[in-house]
Amino acid sequence: MTRTRDALRFVAVCCIAILAHAARADETCLSPFMPKITGQEDYVYVYTLGIEGLGDGNDKLVTLGANPKRPGYGKVVSQVSMPGRHEAHHGDFTDDRRFLWLGGLDTSEIFVFDVATNPGKPRLAKRISNFVAKSGGVVGPHTFYALPGRMLITGLSNAKDGGGKTGMVEYSNAGEFIRTIWMPEGAEYGYDARVNPDLNRMLTSSFTGKKNYMRPLGELMGDAEAMKHFGNTVVVWDFHARKPLQVLQVPGAPLEIRFALDARHYYAFTSSALTARLWGIFRKDDGTFEALDLAPIGDPAKPPLPVDISLSSDDKTLFVDSFVDCTVRVFDVSEPRKPVVIHEQKIGAQLNMVSQSWDGKRVYFSSSLLSNWDKGGADDEQFVKAFSWDGKTLEPLFAVDFKAEKLGRPHIMRFGQEGFWAGTSSPNVGE
Amino acid sequence: MTLALALLLALFEAPKPGTYELPPIAQVQERELVDASGAHVPFPGLAPGQVAVVAFIYRGCHEAQGCPASLALLRELDRRLAADPARAARVRLACVSFDPERDTPARMAELHDLMAPRSDWRFLVPDGAASLAQVLRDFGQDVVDLEGGAKRHVMKVYLVDADHRVRNIYASGFLDANLVFADIDTLSPPVK
Repeated sequence: MTRTRDALRFVAVCCIAILAHAARADETCLSPFMPKITGQEDYVYVYTLGIEGLGDGNDKLVTLGANPKRPGYGKVVSQVSMPGRHEAHHGDFTDDRRFLWLGGLDTSEIFVFDVATNPGKPRLAKRISNFVAKSGGVVGPHTFYALPGRMLITGLSNAKDGGGKTGMVEYSNAGEFIRTIWMPEGAEYGYDARVNPDLNRMLTSSFTGKKNYMRPLGELMGDAEAMKHFGNTVVVWDFHARKPLQVLQVPGAPLEIRFALDARHYYAFTSSALTARLWGIFRKDDGTFEALDLAPIGDPAKPPLPVDISLSSDDKTLFVDSFVDCTVRVFDVSEPRKPVVIHEQKIGAQLNMVSQSWDGKRVYFSSSLLSNWDKGGADDEQFVKAFSWDGKTLEPLFAVDFKAEKLGRPHIMRFGQEGFWAGTSSPNVGE
Repeated sequence: MTLALALLLALFEAPKPGTYELPPIAQVQERELVDASGAHVPFPGLAPGQVAVVAFIYRGCHEAQGCPASLALLRELDRRLAADPARAARVRLACVSFDPERDTPARMAELHDLMAPRSDWRFLVPDGAASLAQVLRDFGQDVVDLEGGAKRHVMKVYLVDADHRVRNIYASGFLDANLVFADIDTLSPPVK
């Protein structure tokens, strides 16, 4: 009798476990395998490109205070320099959110920061300098995406010719190389990768190789031959097997991918940089996917170069940043096949990344795209700006001038929280 | 939810065993743990051709997506293994507590009785803090002691081969028995 009662209690607990997941969405763009900060973020970690002659000139991890109830709100609370300039670009946390991996697109160096021991003062824990050799020639580590116990890293290029043929590389959380998966024939370019575990599907997008992304933008745009060498595909993968299933045509360099977060929503969004279109990747009834051109982003006749997107945790609102016109456009995507622009706002003289809090009430913007693509003269503003969002308008909260602070070009932003790991350090990534 | 949706709605099929690769993720050491009877036993302690599915748990866990979810997965694996003796001979299931202070062998024996295993499912606990630290380090399993005895951790379930190499790691959002069985049959194919 006791065993029967215990067994029933166990089944009840399991049911709670199963249903609880359905009621929760993920922090807006992070791996579904990672715990999320659902309350007020205390810090914004900003991966920053060094500028020669500005401060120490090195790439940096800059930590900004983001909690108005704590000291240092809207200020630089700490910074760590990484010797040299590596074309600091993207990065993300491990699945346990203890370590922040950051990649350099030029040197392919990877820096691993401990953000658990002292979230307000990250510490460089490991440096991986043999990514190209270990991976068999993948260059330009771009997206870092936490898998259970591992880090999936998408490449942008290769060591053989600096073109766009590339692959994805897996490392253990301990920093050991596991394997390289080259992009499939006909879809050789790489950029972002996102997983929907409920569907066992991964989507990857496509950009361009090092010969292009390290070249001055104006020069590149004037080279018709070079402009042919951008990706036009999104690949659908069997995530578990890491096998490509479908190649979808999405012309004009589809960049960031955001899967819908509700477990009943079987679609993702991406934006094509060169053609300035918002795309939807929808699962069909037969289990295959289709790519649908949903809407223009700004005026395609004056390409605004959309660069980053951020989907709200309720799947209703999509922020789309454009670099050239420095504008964020907010789409109502509650009907995902019929997105509608509900707000437009110019953020600065140039604009790249956008990150929103779990509750969608705070939105952060950064300015830098690539060192050779950022604007010149007075338009080369370098900032992180925080806004509040009430569903209709963006109101300024604070701004940090990264040039005045002698920091550099701010790029990707990730959130930290004091006490998230109770101030302990992890054993599995050493100095 | 993943478990429920995958099973109820069949949103995807597990890949065919042997058609994909599971490269080693980490090498773990053979350790000595204490089983539910109080005996010291080797862990993972696998015979050639065997694989182990290992979940780190603690009985005081109240996080719905934590230990109860990994126990639910192992329970499903156990029931399906019981109906498939040929496959069951190649598989060991193991729950390892990361709370040796409270989860005594007697408490693990209670859990054993609650789960009523029908296959080779072991309920283990490290012999003290040093033993715990060793095994957690081997697997890269994070654990943080919180006030009140709670332990913050990212729930993970590990697939270990006979050479003590971690070959896959499953986590919340991706606990699917069909995928685990596909992996088991990839590493240790059925004898025809």
